[in-house]
Amino acid sequence: MNLDNQKWYDKPVTKIILITISLTWMIPYIGFVLSSFRDEQAVKRYAWWNSISSGTILDELTLQNYSEILFAENLSRSFFNSFAVTIPSTIIPITIAAFAAYAFAFIDFRGKDIAFLFVVAMMIVPLQMSLIPLLKLMKSGAILFGIPLIPELNINGTFVAVWFAHTGFGLPLATFLLRDFMMSLPRSVIESAKMDGASHLTTFFRLALPLSIAGIAAFATFQFLWVYNDFLVANVFLGINPRNMVITSHVAQLTVGNYGEAWHLRTSGAVISMIVPLIVFFSLQRFFIKGLIGGAVKG
Amino acid sequence: MRKSIFGLLLILSMVAIACGGGLEGEEVLMFGAPATDGPDGKAIQASFDAFEEETGIIVTYVGSENFESEVQAQMEAGNPPDIALWPQPGAVRDAAERGFLIPMADLDVDMDAYRTNFSSYLVGLGEVDGVAYGGAHAVNLKSIVWYQPAEFEKRGYAIPATWDEMIALADQILAEGMTPFCFGMYSNGATGWLATDWMEDIMLRTGEGTASYDQWVNHDIPFNDPIVKNAATLLSQIMHTDGYVVGGTDAIVSTFFGNAQDPMFERDANGNPGCFMHRQASFIPGFWPEEAKEGLGTETTSFPFPAIESGLPPAALGAGDMWGVFNDRDATKAVVEYMLSPDYFTAIATNVNDAGSTRISAHTGFDTSLYWSPVVQAQAAVLSDALAANSFRFDGSDNMPPAVGAGSFWVEMTELAVNGPSYIDTALDNIENSWP
Amino acid sequence: MENNLKNRLFSTGIRIIAFALFPLIWFMTQAILFRELSKTADRWLLITLAILVGSSFIFILYLGMNKLISYAPNQYQEALFGAMFVGPAIFLLSLFLFYPAIRTIYLSFFDNRGENFIGFENYRWSITDPSMLITIRNQIFWLVGVVLLVILFGLVVAYLSDRLKRGEAFFKSIIFMPMAISAVGSSAMYKFIYEYRPPPLTQIGLINGLRVSRGFADDGSKCGNNTFTDNGEKIGYTSDGCEVPVGWLQQRDLQNFPLFENLDPGNTFLNLLSNLPLNTILLMIIMVWMFTGFAMVVFSAAIKAIPEEIVEAGRIDGASEGRIFLSVVMPYIRSTIIVVATYLTISVLKAFDIVFVTTRGDFESNLLAVKMLDEYFKFLNQGRSAAVAVIIFICVIPIILLNVFRNKAENTI
Repeated sequence: MNLDNQKWYDKPVTKIILITISLTWMIPYIGFVLSSFRDEQAVKRYAWWNSISSGTILDELTLQNYSEILFAENLSRSFFNSFAVTIPSTIIPITIAAFAAYAFAFIDFRGKDIAFLFVVAMMIVPLQMSLIPLLKLMKSGAILFGIPLIPELNINGTFVAVWFAHTGFGLPLATFLLRDFMMSLPRSVIESAKMDGASHLTTFFRLALPLSIAGIAAFATFQFLWVYNDFLVANVFLGINPRNMVITSHVAQLTVGNYGEAWHLRTSGAVISMIVPLIVFFSLQRFFIKGLIGGAVKG
Repeated sequence: MRKSIFGLLLILSMVAIACGGGLEGEEVLMFGAPATDGPDGKAIQASFDAFEEETGIIVTYVGSENFESEVQAQMEAGNPPDIALWPQPGAVRDAAERGFLIPMADLDVDMDAYRTNFSSYLVGLGEVDGVAYGGAHAVNLKSIVWYQPAEFEKRGYAIPATWDEMIALADQILAEGMTPFCFGMYSNGATGWLATDWMEDIMLRTGEGTASYDQWVNHDIPFNDPIVKNAATLLSQIMHTDGYVVGGTDAIVSTFFGNAQDPMFERDANGNPGCFMHRQASFIPGFWPEEAKEGLGTETTSFPFPAIESGLPPAALGAGDMWGVFNDRDATKAVVEYMLSPDYFTAIATNVNDAGSTRISAHTGFDTSLYWSPVVQAQAAVLSDALAANSFRFDGSDNMPPAVGAGSFWVEMTELAVNGPSYIDTALDNIENSWP
Repeated sequence: MENNLKNRLFSTGIRIIAFALFPLIWFMTQAILFRELSKTADRWLLITLAILVGSSFIFILYLGMNKLISYAPNQYQEALFGAMFVGPAIFLLSLFLFYPAIRTIYLSFFDNRGENFIGFENYRWSITDPSMLITIRNQIFWLVGVVLLVILFGLVVAYLSDRLKRGEAFFKSIIFMPMAISAVGSSAMYKFIYEYRPPPLTQIGLINGLRVSRGFADDGSKCGNNTFTDNGEKIGYTSDGCEVPVGWLQQRDLQNFPLFENLDPGNTFLNLLSNLPLNTILLMIIMVWMFTGFAMVVFSAAIKAIPEEIVEAGRIDGASEGRIFLSVVMPYIRSTIIVVATYLTISVLKAFDIVFVTTRGDFESNLLAVKMLDEYFKFLNQGRSAAVAVIIFICVIPIILLNVFRNKAENTI
């Protein structure tokens, strides 16, 4: 190593640039999280950075906002509703997609190519295209040429409508990704299991599923965060009935809601809504990134 | 093993369905525009809590800033609330025409009693072809200007009785180095309605008063009629005279209507308030800071919107909400009966939970001495007098077609605020052209 | 021969059952079960059952079909298993995506109530109506601005952080974190930064707070954000000469700022610049903040995959860093850039939450996805709403097709 070869990027300037960028990225959190712990009057009367510089910040700290938002404002209910929406909305599409992916990868049947083409074609349909008719479908069913295909359902406003909606929106991508993943499994393992007389269902549960667990985890993490953070679908299919409202809708209502400019509740509510995604994110970062890159083409 | 777990869960679900009903009291959901945690939302909930104690029926009130579009979404989706509380009678009639609402007569409502207990003007607003769908709920008064008597007295200002006096006062305040008006019209997704309120108040006091107002709202005179242009010119005088409004003209559209009055409660280094007059409806105290709410009626109170052209009888602009019902469950019927009784408003008027709501009952038999603040009592008196004298007019933009009343009228008034007096003609022409 | 025909009929029957009947029964059962549950069950029971039964009910579908197929003649079993495994996916895609999409296209040719055929009127409206033109302009701003900025920031950050000896993971986590939280939460944070309150109230938004506490008033006193001096005097910002706070999200152009007041009409550049939609740009920043982490992670992976010798060879030849980046690194990550650009383009076209919770489209800040819902729920016009959805769809198609085909080409190589 000679000195002439000292790279420009080893110089302090690189570090300074990076530190500046990361600080910039942190600014939105700092004031926001801090204000969620300050009492209502302080949030309204003093800018948070002025409170820090004048040293009064320590007297302003309180947990009052959190107890108010969780219990008086019932954010805790919305929080659990979010799980009742998110967990089935993650498992249902993955299950259906895994079965389909297995068939596309390992079973020969008539119409396989057309079926797969159909799945890929559905990937280009953006959510907005199907949103409103799907909403109608969940209410009054579907009629095609006068034949009632699906009878009147009236399930809007209940969790099951959101599960179905997310199943529809997540299914093409899940099938596509899991098929890719299963294609990369050694075909010989599956074949030999069949030689031994195992049924497809057994092979699926005993071999294909465990072997694709990495791919499934990637999509599951992605879909979990996507559904948990989703506002549009939840808002359209669940509405604002507080019985079933999810946490993003609740936070959105607080953010848009204008009464008294309640920043002490907006901040604490939003901070609570971020806890779960951040835990998932930090513990499953590897899978999330994989799912995200795969999700690049989600329509 | 796996199957037996499924079976167990399924059986559990079935059992839950079978025995879930009847265990708790019936639940009724009411959805409206005033925010759940705002003063009106809290007060309405307090009234229903009293109802629950008596009957065991659990009524939940939910409010949303996006009420108008969200209730549309729910109607389309087939999961409407049991009762919706619309701020615009036009929207109630629209929902009724589209077949979503149950006529009041089918809800075991004694229609004769209803027509006696509520003013015929309000009852008429909820009718489609003579069939009543929307029930009158609460009203508020818009023709008022909020001020602080102590600050007026200290400086020897008199309450302006006419527009010219108000302008003279404003000029005097300006000359003394202070700001006369608080003015803020930002409102998420509905920016502009405050200026339409001003227009309506001015229209009621110019031209032929209520007569030309009605012609204007019903589009019997064009939107760019000289009377309307005159009103817009007067409004522009307030918005665009240098130094008249807090923060300058640019701030009008940026200031959220809910904290537009906050400067009045602040004092600068010389002890002067940020502004002296704020024309806003009777519900605005709900938005004030806590300290200011306590001074309602003493530190801060209101005077009537000044007369403009002499010879016109006084008129009152107001608004209110109207409920519509989506089903005829017995519990819903019981709630409707309760809302039509004077008892319904007791909890709201007496401010049981310190919610600070200043809504006024639409029930003519309601005991106005119950209102918790003398300011509200006075406003209730003005409203009932005006209703009796037929000089009460409902917020006109709410009775125009949505494309105008919640569309071009708002947008063009916002544009007018931004672009200044030279834009008046363009604004009015644009609104006229957008009338469907 | 007759037996054969019987078998074929039998397997066709089972195929239909697998493709449609079983999924339909599953769909209906789950729908009705939970509809009734949510009417009657108490909240905790409902949430528990939703998570347990809601998630696992789907397996019953497959176990049931498996049972059915076991009765079929052996020679058809393979094909039937194919139908059984794929059937539900195809059925649900048809029901949840295909049918609704076709319906949207159909409705886009009808009037507000979906009753009268009006041809291309809704599309004519969507490219002539002033509010639509503004929306389309904003959408283009977002597309160009967000995609370029995210890629630029992502590249810079990935390239630089790759060279860090320590703390790379920590640093990347900070940039990547916004990707995990909801757009609603992020918008709330930025709304707090952009917050405006009328004078003389304390400015609690960061930008206005810093703005008003700068400088001195005309009378020489210091301007301040309602702070206090050591002897308890309040320092406000309402004196003449202090900066006034600005409602940032309500500024649809730059014309309220000193630089652009009294513009010389001959100065084309400044005149153009003064029309920049400030609030749209401020909202775009939220999305850039959210997505830079994504671009960084993807680019970082691609950069790490470049063989070290190639870069070193360039260095030994004395090439400058800029040159190495352009001629060595870039070719390696070009396809990655296309993937990222695709993802961003689609995300921007569907961006909804940010605008919805901040400005709600006021002051010319609307986007297509918000406009689509507004047309439906606010202005009660199904046809126009459907037409806007179709426009989003048309913009998305080429991008995804490009990506899928490129993927395919790469896979075959």
